Amino acid sequence: MTDPKPARTDANIRRTLADFSVPSEPGNERLAMETVAETVRDLDIRGENLERLKTAVAEATMNAMEHGNKYRSEVPVEIMVLVEDRDLMVRITDSGSGPPPAQAGDVPDLEAKLEGMQTARGWGLFLIKSMVDEMNITGDDGHHTIELVVHLGAEGGK
Amino acid sequence: MAVRHLNVEVRLEPGVAVLDLMGEINGFAEEALNAAYAEAEAKETNTILLNFEGVDYINSTGIALIVGLLARARASHRRLLACNLSEHYVEIFNITRLSDFMSVFPDEESAVVEASVS
Repeated sequence: MTDPKPARTDANIRRTLADFSVPSEPGNERLAMETVAETVRDLDIRGENLERLKTAVAEATMNAMEHGNKYRSEVPVEIMVLVEDRDLMVRITDSGSGPPPAQAGDVPDLEAKLEGMQTARGWGLFLIKSMVDEMNITGDDGHHTIELVVHLGAEGGK
Repeated sequence: MAVRHLNVEVRLEPGVAVLDLMGEINGFAEEALNAAYAEAEAKETNTILLNFEGVDYINSTGIALIVGLLARARASHRRLLACNLSEHYVEIFNITRLSDFMSVFPDEESAVVEASVS
């Protein structure tokens, strides 16, 4: 993992709290999760809201390592943590190609999975979407980025 | 960061086979989880209890493994119960609707009582 860079100010209201990467190796989603949790320790996000953010970061990093980077360890997942006004944003970028999923985060059909009509997998994007206030997915020819947004303060988190 | 691989111990309580889960439930857990579940099935009880007291991380692949156990339990007409989930993972069991198909108890004692009266 590259070391988180020191905080810097990009504009009057946007601050970059961390900018780091992790190799695409199984289990490194926990490294990303714990690094983001440490980065936001002084922000107004606590308890269950912090646990939700950690799960969203872990799942988004897993998706990036598996589907974007195909678990090629030499291809890193890039992670940025930013604050703008009362929003915390975590941007997770892989080196995948092709369009981002159009129906990202639909509710999985558990009954169909239990009956063997669908794979038991397919929970990641749904979990991410359920854990944060906003989930935005963008992409171009060489990258996908998933942006997680949590509204800070008394009304922050889901 | 080192992965805490799942370790599972299986024991028999009155009317229920208990799987004590320790570690992380992720893609690395599949072999240990399925082997322990098969050992629990061999106890020939109608109820199998997953005790999550020693689990501090479950990811979406782990959720899929639990769905797989639930499918096996339904196919063999067994009840699958869960206990000692943290508040966060109780929420995840609720939003994934896993808790619609497997009762979740705050502790082992209440789960075993439920298993013994049903």
